[in-house]
Amino acid sequence: MTAALKLRPLKLPPHEKRKLGNGLMLHLVPRGPLPLVAVRLVMRGGSVWDPAGRAGVADFAARLFRRGAGGRTADELSEAIDFVGAAMGGYANEENVVLSLSCPSRHLEPMLELMGLLLLRPDFPEAELELSRRRTLAQLQNELDDPGALAERAWARAMWGTHPYGHETLGQKKSIESMTRADLVDFHKTRLGPVLAHLYVVGDIDVDRITTVADRIFGGWKGGPELAPQVPDWAGPERSGQVIIVDKPEQTQVQLRIGAEGVKRGHVDHFPLTVMNAVLGGGFTSRLIREIRVKRGLSYGAHSAFDMMGNAGTFMVGSFTKTESINTLIDVALAEVKKMRAKGPTTLEVDTMKRYISGLYPSRLETNEAVAGSIADVQHYGLPEDWITGYRDRVNAVTAKDAARAAATHLFDAKRVIVLVGNAQTLAPKVSKYGHVTVVKPDELE
Amino acid sequence: MPKATPRSRTSSVKLPPALGAIADSIIEAKLPNGLRIRLVPNAGVPTCSYYTFFKVGARNERPGITGISHLFEHMMFNGAKKYGPGMFDKVLESNGGSSNAYTSNDLTVYYEDFMAEALEKVIDLESDRMRSLAVTPKMLASERQVVMEERRLRVDNEIAGMMDEELGALVYKAHPYRWPVIGWMGDIENIKREDCLEYFRTYYAPNNATIYVAGDFDPKQALALIRKAYGNIKAGPAVPGVLDAEPEQKGERRANVHYPAQAHSLMIAWRGPKGDDPDTFILDVVQYALSVGQSSRLTKKLVFELELAVGVNVDWTWRFDPGTFTVGLELKAGGDPAKAEAALYGELERLAKDGLDARELEKAKNNLAGTLMRELATNSGRAHALGTYEMMLGDWRRGLALPTAYEGITSEDVKRVVAKYLGRERRNVVTLVPTNGAEA
Repeated sequence: MTAALKLRPLKLPPHEKRKLGNGLMLHLVPRGPLPLVAVRLVMRGGSVWDPAGRAGVADFAARLFRRGAGGRTADELSEAIDFVGAAMGGYANEENVVLSLSCPSRHLEPMLELMGLLLLRPDFPEAELELSRRRTLAQLQNELDDPGALAERAWARAMWGTHPYGHETLGQKKSIESMTRADLVDFHKTRLGPVLAHLYVVGDIDVDRITTVADRIFGGWKGGPELAPQVPDWAGPERSGQVIIVDKPEQTQVQLRIGAEGVKRGHVDHFPLTVMNAVLGGGFTSRLIREIRVKRGLSYGAHSAFDMMGNAGTFMVGSFTKTESINTLIDVALAEVKKMRAKGPTTLEVDTMKRYISGLYPSRLETNEAVAGSIADVQHYGLPEDWITGYRDRVNAVTAKDAARAAATHLFDAKRVIVLVGNAQTLAPKVSKYGHVTVVKPDELE
Repeated sequence: MPKATPRSRTSSVKLPPALGAIADSIIEAKLPNGLRIRLVPNAGVPTCSYYTFFKVGARNERPGITGISHLFEHMMFNGAKKYGPGMFDKVLESNGGSSNAYTSNDLTVYYEDFMAEALEKVIDLESDRMRSLAVTPKMLASERQVVMEERRLRVDNEIAGMMDEELGALVYKAHPYRWPVIGWMGDIENIKREDCLEYFRTYYAPNNATIYVAGDFDPKQALALIRKAYGNIKAGPAVPGVLDAEPEQKGERRANVHYPAQAHSLMIAWRGPKGDDPDTFILDVVQYALSVGQSSRLTKKLVFELELAVGVNVDWTWRFDPGTFTVGLELKAGGDPAKAEAALYGELERLAKDGLDARELEKAKNNLAGTLMRELATNSGRAHALGTYEMMLGDWRRGLALPTAYEGITSEDVKRVVAKYLGRERRNVVTLVPTNGAEA
């Protein structure tokens, strides 16, 4: 048994919340000593809410913000941002649209002014729209050469089917091809507004000064939604019990992803699951690493992970091996999940992983960007106020019994999908015993 | 080997306050067995990072055992005298830590991130494997398979990996930078246990190692613990030097890689100066001006204006001996590689002729200074950056003084180094030619 944990306190800098008149919430965290600042404007309105036929519009529009705003051209904006050594840009993930900025603190105010321009007055110039369309389509196509990226794409489709969490953030070929300027303007007008937005400013700042500046820049922002739309429930993996092979005949190695239903963010079993998963496929001493890499030399890597979003979550096991070894790899991975589901982890394993997770947790809060991200998660997912400061204690409260119960409840039995990327001709007869096999060509995933 | 320079030299270069504070906090020591120790206390969060730099990499290999530095890096996790097979990571994780390592052409670097309370345990683990690593036939056989799978992942099934391997063999004829760090597959299969043991004796002695610790710890106590744990490890023989017999390149060299792909790709490289040559910093500026940010010259030209490439990447990684300045161009489907090459060479000629304007020069310097500051923001980044600067430049102080070094660079310098290193006769071009008919 490992000795009881005595953890040094986690000193979090003060986090001040201030609400502007239009409803925009500011989260200000003064934090030195380096002269740097990270800013995140997080707006509820991600790809989940992209309308039918327009998957990817949120991300596409957000990326165009800095290609023309307030009458300033893409070149002028890029020049101003790059000159001071700042990074600024927009993007969307499943649930949020984010405008982010990192810069030396002495350039913060002019950079915030520019950020305001990008947010409030994007021009969406026709020429930039066309340029971006051509570039995005070319990127989508080139990604088909990356076996790992193909595996993730095929996996997302096999898991989500038509559920909105499956709207790939880059969008799909067809919807990018048909996107019009009116779609972008409409997105900007109807889906973004101050009421559902939070502005995080972390780093070398003066709280009062930034409040004044933020009010001047963002105080006049109006419109947008007042209530976040609901994400529909998910019935579980679309291609449950099936095997999907993405055919890349030239490959000498197979990428493997196994997928199943997980839990949503803030689930009551969050901490037992986190500890249990670390035992199964988290750290470098995990069962998957031991059985796949150390004992059998089957692969260089193997891991498992829960991805938790607002209204649903997934569980994935990922690895890769030479084509000849694919059956051994799949059998070992499935057997380890089954064993964990049946018996849970040992007390020693649970104690080890509790120390591993809680010991390293503070290093997730080292940079301004990381602090902004952690605070934003607490806000966005409605987590308890002491989520960050109490995280290590909650991890350490998990018992082997809790972890075993969580494993039995949430790890998959028969409801799972298997995705492979490799030589389909060789693979198909080998893997038909795991379920109905469908072979797809890479360009079907574009 | 350069000696640790006396403290007073810090004051010869005026550092910005944030960097000056870091410089003042660093404590240096050297044990009688030659082990160098650098302590960088920082109480931001209750964690530490522990780095061990060994001056050995693919550069120290020879044909027949290419990849041994990297295979050996894997073996360092497979058991020593006190902590047997599988124990290193088990003990570390149960003490709130994690570890990893990497091998480059010049260096092999091991690191742990962990909760501050575990420092003594980490010192015990690291000193155990430096003192008494075991290389058992069973562990070697298993690890060999893992590395072969890693090679399949990173090279044999990865386009950039294939091209990079081809490029190394094109740029270098005589120097060991010719072969890939992961090694040729046939060599990985054939490396012997005796080769590994010889490698350990030669390169893993304390006199070839430097330790960096950054984070929340008491430096006095840490130094005492390190002295106690490592003090009785015997110094090894002097490490054999590596001869740089690379001849001057006398004309352009080209190679093709044929593989199924959506579009052509290009990797174009020139042999540059050594890492500690003053021209290296000028090439840092050139790298920024060419490729970093949407307003950089190559990005503007090739991605936005000509729309030939979806991405531009310039790699200028410092090395002990002359390294490569590499431009990677990921073309669009249907993009003509000859046109992309012509556009690139046009930009380089313009740079050699006209240099950078004052604003572009200042932009590159602002970005380089910002990058340094961001590297120093985490314990791990701080230990890694300072250690790398010491390995490459002989002293971490020269790393912290880099913004000052960049400050003095002029447009004339840029013209000179572009003309000197990035010319036509010195270039090496690898083209990925798609074989699946996806091209129009």
